[in-house]
Amino acid sequence: MTTPVATDLDRAKRRTALSAAMMVVGMVCLGYASVPLYDMFCKVTGFGGTTQRADASAVPGAVAGKTISIRFDANHRPDLPWEFTPEKHRETITIGARDMAFFRAKNLSDEPVKGIASYNVSPSQAGKYFTKIECFCFTEQTLKPGEEVRMPVIFFVDPAILNDPDANDISEITLSYTFFPVDPEKG
Amino acid sequence: MTDIAATPSEFQAHGHDDHHHDADHKPGFFARWFMSTNHKDIGTLYLIFAIFAGIIGGAISGLMRAELAAPGIQYLHGWAELQGGDHLHLWNALITAHGLIMVFFMVMPAMIGGFGNWFVPIMIGAPDMAFPRMNNISFWLLVPAFTMLLGSAFVSGGSGSGSGTGWTVYAPLSTSGSPGPATDMAILSLHLAGASSILGAINFITTIFNMRAPGMTLHKMPLFVWSVLVTAFLLLLSLPVLAAAITMLLTDRNFGTAFFDAAGGGDPVLYQHLFWFFGHPEVYIMILPGFGIVSQIISTFSKKPVFGYLGMAYAMVAIGVVGFVVWAHHMFTTGMSVNTKMYFTAATMVIAVPTGIKIFSWIATMWGGSLSFKTPMMWSLGFIFMFTVGGVTGVLLANGGIDNYMHDTYYVVAHFHYVLSLGAVFSLFAGFYYWFPKMSGKMYNEFLGQLHFWTFFLGVNVLFFPMHFLGLQGMPRRYPDYPDAFAYWNHIASLGYVIMAVSMIFFFVNLIISLAAGRKAGDSPWGEGATTLEWTLSSPPPFHQFETLPKVD
Amino acid sequence: MNILKTAILAFGLMLAPSAAMATPGATAPAAVAANAAAPADAVANAAAPVWPVTPPVAGIGQPVNGAIGIQPQVTKLGEEALWMHDIILMPVMVIISLLVLGLLFWIAARYRAKANPIASKTSHNTAIEVIWTLLPVLILVGIAIPSISLLAKQYKPAPKEAITLKATGNQWNWSYEYPDHGIEFTANMLPEKDEAAPGTAFRTDADGPRLLAADNRIILPVGVPIKLLTTASDVIHSWAMPAFWIKMDAVPGRTNETSFTIEKPGVYFGQCSELCGDKHAYMPIVVEAVSPARFAEWVKFKGGKMPGSEPVAAAVAPAAPAATGATAPVADNAAAPAANATNAATAATGN
Repeated sequence: MTTPVATDLDRAKRRTALSAAMMVVGMVCLGYASVPLYDMFCKVTGFGGTTQRADASAVPGAVAGKTISIRFDANHRPDLPWEFTPEKHRETITIGARDMAFFRAKNLSDEPVKGIASYNVSPSQAGKYFTKIECFCFTEQTLKPGEEVRMPVIFFVDPAILNDPDANDISEITLSYTFFPVDPEKG
Repeated sequence: MTDIAATPSEFQAHGHDDHHHDADHKPGFFARWFMSTNHKDIGTLYLIFAIFAGIIGGAISGLMRAELAAPGIQYLHGWAELQGGDHLHLWNALITAHGLIMVFFMVMPAMIGGFGNWFVPIMIGAPDMAFPRMNNISFWLLVPAFTMLLGSAFVSGGSGSGSGTGWTVYAPLSTSGSPGPATDMAILSLHLAGASSILGAINFITTIFNMRAPGMTLHKMPLFVWSVLVTAFLLLLSLPVLAAAITMLLTDRNFGTAFFDAAGGGDPVLYQHLFWFFGHPEVYIMILPGFGIVSQIISTFSKKPVFGYLGMAYAMVAIGVVGFVVWAHHMFTTGMSVNTKMYFTAATMVIAVPTGIKIFSWIATMWGGSLSFKTPMMWSLGFIFMFTVGGVTGVLLANGGIDNYMHDTYYVVAHFHYVLSLGAVFSLFAGFYYWFPKMSGKMYNEFLGQLHFWTFFLGVNVLFFPMHFLGLQGMPRRYPDYPDAFAYWNHIASLGYVIMAVSMIFFFVNLIISLAAGRKAGDSPWGEGATTLEWTLSSPPPFHQFETLPKVD
Repeated sequence: MNILKTAILAFGLMLAPSAAMATPGATAPAAVAANAAAPADAVANAAAPVWPVTPPVAGIGQPVNGAIGIQPQVTKLGEEALWMHDIILMPVMVIISLLVLGLLFWIAARYRAKANPIASKTSHNTAIEVIWTLLPVLILVGIAIPSISLLAKQYKPAPKEAITLKATGNQWNWSYEYPDHGIEFTANMLPEKDEAAPGTAFRTDADGPRLLAADNRIILPVGVPIKLLTTASDVIHSWAMPAFWIKMDAVPGRTNETSFTIEKPGVYFGQCSELCGDKHAYMPIVVEAVSPARFAEWVKFKGGKMPGSEPVAAAVAPAAPAATGATAPVADNAAAPAANATNAATAATGN
C-alpha cells in the first residue's frame, strides 16, 4: 500500500475508534450517573413509592370530607437488636391536612446501636402525593442500651391525588419503614 | 443480500498465484497462535475457545438435568462431598456457571469473535480487521476471564464453593448474601469478558466503517456484516452499563459503598434496572449475528438473493434500538407502577414487528427458490421454526399482566432456551457447517451433519418443550428439587438432554474425521447461490487475502 | 400410622367449617372452650391445641403430574388472565407457529431443487412487505388492548374493607403478619418424616405435597379482598401463588403491594420465586381459604381479634390470654394428634 492512502485510512480508523471509545466512556458515565438520576427520577415521579418532602409551610390544608386511611408498617433487619413498631397500625386522615404519627423504637441490646431507616409507600402510585414534612427517617438514629424513643413523622397527603385517575381510588396508603443497622459489624 | 457481481475468478488468484509470494506466508506456531494478528487465526481461536466453553457449559447442564431427572435430591450430596461445600449451594453455583459460560464464553465468542472475525473482513473485501493487535488482545482477555470464572468454582462463595448468585448477580444476594471471594472472581471475570467484547466491538465498527472494498456501500454489505455491525453497537452501548453496575457491586461488597443497599440509601431494584439495561440488548447481541448467518445460508441454498434486503437490515437496526427501551419487562414483579408496566408491555411487543419481518422475509427468500437441503440449510430451517416458537412465547411473556404467573417459572426458561439454545445455537451450527469447508478447506460429512441436525433437533425439543408445561403448572426456576407433581415432564426433559448429548457425539466425530480426512472443498462448494466474497477465495483462504482490494459493482 | 390418623382426623375436620358457618353463635364459644381447656392438657401431655389441618384437594391449588396447562384459578383476576392466555394468546401463538411451520413444509416440497430447478430472482415486493409489517401490528394491538386492561384491573387498589396480610421473606422461611388482627407467625417448610429431627414436626399428606407443605398456613377468608404487602429481611424473595395469579417480589427495605380476592375455599400452594440463596426451593407458601366465619374463629384461636368487633373480643377476653399462651407452641401439629382429636371432638359437639 502507498503511504498517503494508509495515512488517510489510519486517520479515519482512529477517528472511528475514538468516537466508539467515547461512546463507551459515555455509557460508563451514564451507568454511574444513573444512581443519582434514578434517585431524582424516583423523587420526582414517586416511582417505586418514593415519598415527597416539603416544608411545613407547604401544607395545602384539609379537603373537607375527603379522607384516606394510612397504614403504618415497621420492619427492622434481624441483625438490628431493636424493637420497632408503629404506635397505631392505621389511622384515617383528611386529605390535605397535616398529620403526625409516632413509631416506637427500643434498643434491646446492652450497647448503643445506630440505625437508619429506608422507607416507601404503597401502592406505588401514591408516592407522588405522600409528602413528609418531618421524619425520623431522614437521619441516623442512635439508641442507648435499653433506650426507648417515640419517633414522629409529620406528613400530609397532597389533594392532587384526588385528580389522578390512577391514584384517586386508593383507599389506604401504607407507609413502611425498615430500620437497618448503620454499622453491621456491631452487635 | 447484495447483488455482488463478482465472479470467483476475480479474486481467488491471490491464494494460488505464485507471484503473490507473501500471501500465504505464515509465522511459526507460537507466533501464529499466541501473538496472532490475523483475523482468520483469531477467529479460529475464538471458535476453539467457544467449543471448549460450550463443552463445559453443556456438561454443567448435564449435571443439572441429571439432578432434575427425578424429584428429591439425587446426586448433589455426592457432588458436594467431592467439592466440600453445601449441596444446595453447589446447585446455585451450577446454574450460575451454566448461564455465565453459555452467554459470555460460548455464544458471544462463537458468534462475534469466531464467525465475525473470520468473515466480516472477507465479506467487505478487507485484508484484515482495522486493529489486528487489539483483536488479539480481545481474544486473550477472554482466556483469563474464563480461567477466573472457572477458578471461582474452587473458592468459597458462601456455604460452598463457587458463586451462587445466578447469572443475573442480583443484589443483595450478590452483595450481603454471598460472602467469600467466588462472587468477586465471577464479577471480575465479567469485567474482563466485557472489556474483551468492547474492544472487539470497537474493532468491528472501525473495520466496517472504514475498510470496505471500493463499491461495497453500506447498503451492499452482506446481512451478516450488518448483523455484526448492529451487534457491535449494542455491545458498545450496553456493556459499559454492565461494567458500571458490577463495579458498583464490587465496591458494595468490598469497600462499604451502598449503591444497592437499602441500609445506606441505595436501592436493590436499581441494580436490576442497570443489569437489564445491559441484559436485554445482550440477548439481541446473542441472536442478531445468528440472524445474519441464517440470512446468508437461506439465500445461498435457495439460489436467490435475500428477499427485502433493506427491510432485513433495518429490521435488525430497529430490533437493536427498541431493544434498549424494553429492559424492565424482566422486572415485572418487582413492584413497578401500573403506567411503567403498561409502557414496557407495549414497547416489548413492538419488537415482534421487526422480528416478524425477518421471519417472513426468510420464508419469502425461499419462495420461488431452488432449494437444496444441505446441513447448513437444515439448521437454518430449524432455526426459523424454533425461533418463531421462542418468539411467540416471548410475546406472551411481554404482557405484564400475564407475566405475573409465568415470571421466574420454567416457562421463562423454556422461552429463552427456545430463542437461545435453539435459536442462537442452531444458527451457530448452521454457520459452522456452512463455513466449515471455507475455514478448513475440507468438506464435512453430509450424512453425519444431517444425523447431527435431526438428533439435536429432536433432543432439544424433547428437552425444552416440556419446560413450557412445567412453567404453566407453576414450577419456579433455579430449583434443585421440586414437588413430585413436576416429575413427569422433568423426566422427559432429562431424556431430551441425553438425546441432545448423543447428537453432539455425531458432531464431534464429524468434526474430527472431516478435519483429518475430509474431501477437499472447492472454492465455492455451495454453488451459484453463494454470492458473498468469501466464496471468491480459495478454501481455506490465503493467510493474507485481498492485497489488491476487490471491486464490487 | 401418624399420617393415617392425621389424615382421618383432617378429613373429619373438613366438615367443621360448614358446621361453623351453620351455627356461628354456638361454635364460637365451643371453640373458645376448647382452646381454654387445652392449656390443662398442654401441661399434662406437653401437647397443645392445634388448628385442624384441612387436606388439600388434588389438582386444586397445586401442580398435577404430567399436566400441560395453567393451574385452575380461584380469583376473578386469575380467571380473566387465564381467559386471556387460553382464548387470545394461545390461539395466536399456535396459529403463528403452525403458519410458519406450514409455510416451511410447503416451500420445502414445492421449491426443492428437483421440483423447481430454476430459482426466481424476485427480491422485492413492496405490497407483501407492507402487509407483513402491518398484520403483526394489528395482531399486537389486538393483544395489547385486553392486556392493558388486565393490567389496569390488577393494579386497582384494594378497597377499604380489605384484610391486610403482610409477608416478609427471610432466608429461608416466610413470616406473616395480620396487622389489624394482631397475628404474627412464621411458616417453615415441613420436612419429610425421615428428614425431620426426632420430636419435631414433619409433613403428612394432609399438610400437602412434599416441598409445598408448611408448618403454618396463611388462613384467609373467601370473598373478602386481601391486600398483600411484601417485604424481605435479607435478600430479595418473591411471594408467588399460581392459583391466584399473584407474584410479588419481596424486596428488603421497601414494601410492595398487591391484592386479590379468593373465590373458593381450599388449600393453595406456592413457592418462593426469586433466587434467594441455598434453600430457595425450600420456602413454600400455603394459603388456606375458609369462610369468613371460620376465619374469625381462626383469628380468635390465634389470639388475635377481628378489627371492629370489640364486643366479641371483650366476651372472649378471659379466654384470650390462655389461648395466646397456647398458640405459642402450636406450630407442631403433627406431633400433637391427641390435641387435634380434642379439637375435632369439640367441633363435632358444636355441630
